[in-house]
Amino acid sequence: MAVFEPEAEGIVLDAEETGGDIVGRSPWALAGRRLLRNRISLAALALFLLIVIVSFGAPIYAHDIAHTDPFASNVTGTITLNGKTVDVIQQGTGPLGLGETPIGPTWTFRYLLGSDNQGRDVAARVLYGGRASLIIGLSSAGLACLLALLFALVAGFFGGLIDTVISRLMDLIWAFPVYLLAISLATVLLTSAHGLNLGLFTLSASSLWIPLLIIGLIYVPYVYRPIRGQVLSLREKEFVEAAIAQGAGSFRLIFREILPNVLSTVIVLLPLMIATTILTESALSYLSIGVQAPQASWGTIIQDGQALLYTRPWVAIAPGIMIVLTVLALNVFGDGLRDALDPRSKVRTK
Amino acid sequence: MLTFVVRRLVGLVAVLLVLSVLVFLIFFATPGIDPARRMAGRNPSQQTIAQIRHEFGLDRSLPVQYVLMMKHLFVTRDLISYGSQTKVIPEITSAAPVTFSLVIGAAVLWVVFSILVGLAAAVLRGTVLDPILMILALIGISVPVFWLGEVVNLFTQSRWHGFFLFSWVPPLGYTPLTQNPLKWFEGLVFPWLTLSVLYVGFYARVLRANLIETENEDYIRTARAKGISERRVLLRHNLRTSMITFVSLFGLDLGVLIGGGALLTEVVFGLPGVGQLTYTSLSGLDLPVILATVIYGAFFITIASALVDLLYAWLDPRVRPA
Amino acid sequence: MRLRSLFSLLTVACLAALVLTACGGSSKKSTASAGGSGGTLITLAQAAAPGSPDPQINYTLQEWQMLIMTHDGLTAFKKAGGLAGTQVVPDLATTIPNPTEGGKTYVFTLRKGIKFSDGTTLKASDVTRTFERNFAVHGPTAGTFYKTIVGAAACLKTPATCDLSKNGVVPDDANNTVTFHLTNGDPEFLQKLAVPFASILPASTPMKAVTIPPPGTGPYKFVEYNLHKQIKLVRNTHFKVWSKDAQPAGNPDVIIQKFGLGPEAEVTQVENGQADWMFDPVPADRLNEIGNKYPNQVHINPLTADYYMAFNVRVPPFNNLKARQAVNYATDRNALVKIYGGPKLAVPSCQILPPNFPGYKPYCPYTKNPGSGKWTAPDLAKAKQLIAASGTKGASVKVNTDTTDTNKAFGLYFVGLLNSLGYKATLQALSPDLQYAYCQNSKNKVQFCWSAWSQDYPAASDFINILFGCSSFVPNSDASPNLSEFCDKGIQAQIDQALKQGITDPTGANVKWAAIDKAITNQAGWVTMFNPKQLDFVGKRVKGYQFSPQWYFLLDLASVK
Repeated sequence: MAVFEPEAEGIVLDAEETGGDIVGRSPWALAGRRLLRNRISLAALALFLLIVIVSFGAPIYAHDIAHTDPFASNVTGTITLNGKTVDVIQQGTGPLGLGETPIGPTWTFRYLLGSDNQGRDVAARVLYGGRASLIIGLSSAGLACLLALLFALVAGFFGGLIDTVISRLMDLIWAFPVYLLAISLATVLLTSAHGLNLGLFTLSASSLWIPLLIIGLIYVPYVYRPIRGQVLSLREKEFVEAAIAQGAGSFRLIFREILPNVLSTVIVLLPLMIATTILTESALSYLSIGVQAPQASWGTIIQDGQALLYTRPWVAIAPGIMIVLTVLALNVFGDGLRDALDPRSKVRTK
Repeated sequence: MLTFVVRRLVGLVAVLLVLSVLVFLIFFATPGIDPARRMAGRNPSQQTIAQIRHEFGLDRSLPVQYVLMMKHLFVTRDLISYGSQTKVIPEITSAAPVTFSLVIGAAVLWVVFSILVGLAAAVLRGTVLDPILMILALIGISVPVFWLGEVVNLFTQSRWHGFFLFSWVPPLGYTPLTQNPLKWFEGLVFPWLTLSVLYVGFYARVLRANLIETENEDYIRTARAKGISERRVLLRHNLRTSMITFVSLFGLDLGVLIGGGALLTEVVFGLPGVGQLTYTSLSGLDLPVILATVIYGAFFITIASALVDLLYAWLDPRVRPA
Repeated sequence: MRLRSLFSLLTVACLAALVLTACGGSSKKSTASAGGSGGTLITLAQAAAPGSPDPQINYTLQEWQMLIMTHDGLTAFKKAGGLAGTQVVPDLATTIPNPTEGGKTYVFTLRKGIKFSDGTTLKASDVTRTFERNFAVHGPTAGTFYKTIVGAAACLKTPATCDLSKNGVVPDDANNTVTFHLTNGDPEFLQKLAVPFASILPASTPMKAVTIPPPGTGPYKFVEYNLHKQIKLVRNTHFKVWSKDAQPAGNPDVIIQKFGLGPEAEVTQVENGQADWMFDPVPADRLNEIGNKYPNQVHINPLTADYYMAFNVRVPPFNNLKARQAVNYATDRNALVKIYGGPKLAVPSCQILPPNFPGYKPYCPYTKNPGSGKWTAPDLAKAKQLIAASGTKGASVKVNTDTTDTNKAFGLYFVGLLNSLGYKATLQALSPDLQYAYCQNSKNKVQFCWSAWSQDYPAASDFINILFGCSSFVPNSDASPNLSEFCDKGIQAQIDQALKQGITDPTGANVKWAAIDKAITNQAGWVTMFNPKQLDFVGKRVKGYQFSPQWYFLLDLASVK
């Protein structure tokens, strides 16, 4: 009879380790140990951190290495390539001399990936774009997960009217026309004299807070649903009954019994949501209602690249590749996290 | 069961009402909006603008305008768009089948493939195929759909159009199923593939994660101990519980897509569906059409969410409303 | 391990299947046969012309290119390529009458036997009804082009009861004549009768906006008008040629315009021979490609249009003349031309009127070594001098454009330029549907704003009076095309004189217009950027392409057989 053995994924006790090594350690510490043994996950984390460091080092690259200003219009600029002076944007060849084409990748530090329609260094812009995309992606995913967790705990645990109201509110948010809100908000901010004044601080049109808050808000229902479902089923489990029998109040039940068990679901969803939010940001920026000039993000650069797809595809491909690498790294690491956190997995002695 | 249905219907109406009011308010809060001015054309006289304003009821107060617009939309069903000054409802009814064709075809593709890939990856854990499948899935979900669509068009319509592999691809656009089924199909193949690529990866991973997690549940071990074959354990016991998250996410996504969420895919492939209608009405700031598409979309989203809750209860008996 | 190997096999099979998708299909090749008439002209546009399809409401070139094939006015612009296309010829009228009573009365005699596409015969009272309808449907030019008709004022006030038949547009069905009475002489009246707002419609046409253009007297008629799919014109069987100059019988049997594709896809379709012409501009990254691979299918013609940035002359810092002139000297118009698509598609300009326009005389003071009338290079030294003298350094400026690629690029260029001159400039890019109205409204205090203007018909006042006349500045209104808020009493007096002289002596008036052009340019109300050119990319089977400065590509003169 064939037996289907769920494999231990390299997270086994070493020959030297015994049960004694894990005695007395909290589940979280155990998870940490497991995670550290998962080399692929660590490699992914390293890749992600590398991308973060490089993106936040964009000013250094632009100023000291590439010597360009990636935000200034440079349509008639020239650079020296192999000793020759070359227009950054060149007139078309052929009998009609039609069109103006930016230079392609030079594979040197000056205009490494070529120039865009404005004569700007694409490589430097991609790094600056990474800053904006990462800030927005990470923060909005975190915000969405946090809010969803709070709402789901309350709605799932208390049920009844509270559950109904919150769930319908979530329906409303999910059905909300994000693009309309984004267009309107972008227009309001662009046309007001000094940005939106919210008492303590002002938001200018190019502030990253706007797309951050919008994207963070609209994905709350998406994370809310599965967590609420899990809370509903956990509510009926025996350990909760036991806790109630012990006289635990609602607060303690939610935060000490149920929360730790849904936390791993949230942690699994987090990297997936970061992927989603980064992509949503790129879609909004592509429609010119996300990140506004003078800020750049991977999405705005892809939009710049749309007009160059047939001649200089690198302008659209480079930010796309960055998105893929970032999301890939996050997800592989997320897998490792999930494996490490599953309390009943793979602690098998060989 | 009846109370459930009634409660959700009331919820649906409430959501639609609140949404329509919000859309209305946001629209008029946007600076520079003056539908009468835009309808009046390039260089109109002040009188012309004033008359248009009066004819379309734009000089009434906001609540009155709202009530009038809802009346035109639901009661008399003759709501006129600000842009083309033609009726809105026929525009939506002619756009809906296009969106249905796109979304349902893509959904079939992505459900089938993600279940297969998710099952395969869970079963093949430990071999080299698991990470390969997962990486392919990840690439799928990492790509912006508008970019992917443009690249697909670049190759199928232009660069590689000559090769036999792509020469059958018709020009971008939509042919109704009733008019020419073969062209309908051919024109939708790449939009289906492009749209489903995004979701296959996501759902395969979700399914795989759930399958692995459920592996360790006691009732799976019990089933195996009872002597049930591996395939039955996988498909009848494990899969059913693991599908819970899958189904709830699927319901939400499908609702959004039918309601016009495949906006960018439709735009890139030239499909005149509800998504494209939403997009053009938003960029043209055409309030009647925006309102109609938002309500249309919200309707499907809310219904989908109610259906998903029903399905959820069927799949996981622990969740049934007591 | 049976389950495992099964899944492995399935996985590999699925991956393989995904790669192979083709299921054969033959590509049909059509044989081109020589000849003129017949066939279907397939044109493409991303979206239908915005606005109502009603000929008396729609104000877009896209729609006009169709309407001139389905409708006629009392007069018409000659259907010919080149400068001949700016000539006004009689269409439904037998001849162009000379106005009497100081230019206030025109008597037109209608041709006999002309039929609408619904079979009814054209009569004089149709003309009257058409002009009354113009007011009833709130046509955008009812109050501007046609306000000189006697009775127009009353019609503007109460359009529903508009009656011009007694005094304004008097029909005589028996003798087949129509008499127009105007309150003042109007040197452009004959041209105003040649645009689709004045296309004659049957008297039975309903007095509210229609959803498909009503029957007309032209060689084609609309049979389909689906905003999201296509519009379709077929031959009007009741049409007979009465004047080849005004309205020839078209070559194609059917003309369609399909909607829904983006410009990149449209280029590909024209290249593949799946379409004959695209209305939308060719995207910048395909220009080199079509110029190299399909040079014979590319037609470039100059347009009587301006691309410009308007200063607000009433709001700091550009209420200062020196500041405005400084920016004009500093602007590198070659960079702007490059952004637009290169020197083949745009010609730098410093003045208001475009070349080949009545009243045009080349004039450009804002260049290095001025005097030739052509712009050659920016003069940064002079610009810096003027800025210093103006005392406006350090002011913040918002540069306003819309969000389309090219226009945003212009905005970014000017942000950089203004910053290098010592200002604090930022970009304000609004949705194209909002931007123009936003710039027009003086309460928004827009300082520096992108816009473009092209002619309604070839007359200097269509540029100068509308864009710089005092009455064109309407405070706090979204309809104030004088973006600069410019109003100079001396120049306005000159404008009024030129308008008056134009009634009797157009040539003399044009000399005056040239002087006015110079004076306004010296006041630097704008930074004029360039005069764009029109690029038409046609399919390989299209023969007989003709470009009229008024209607651009004359669709029905081309042939696809």
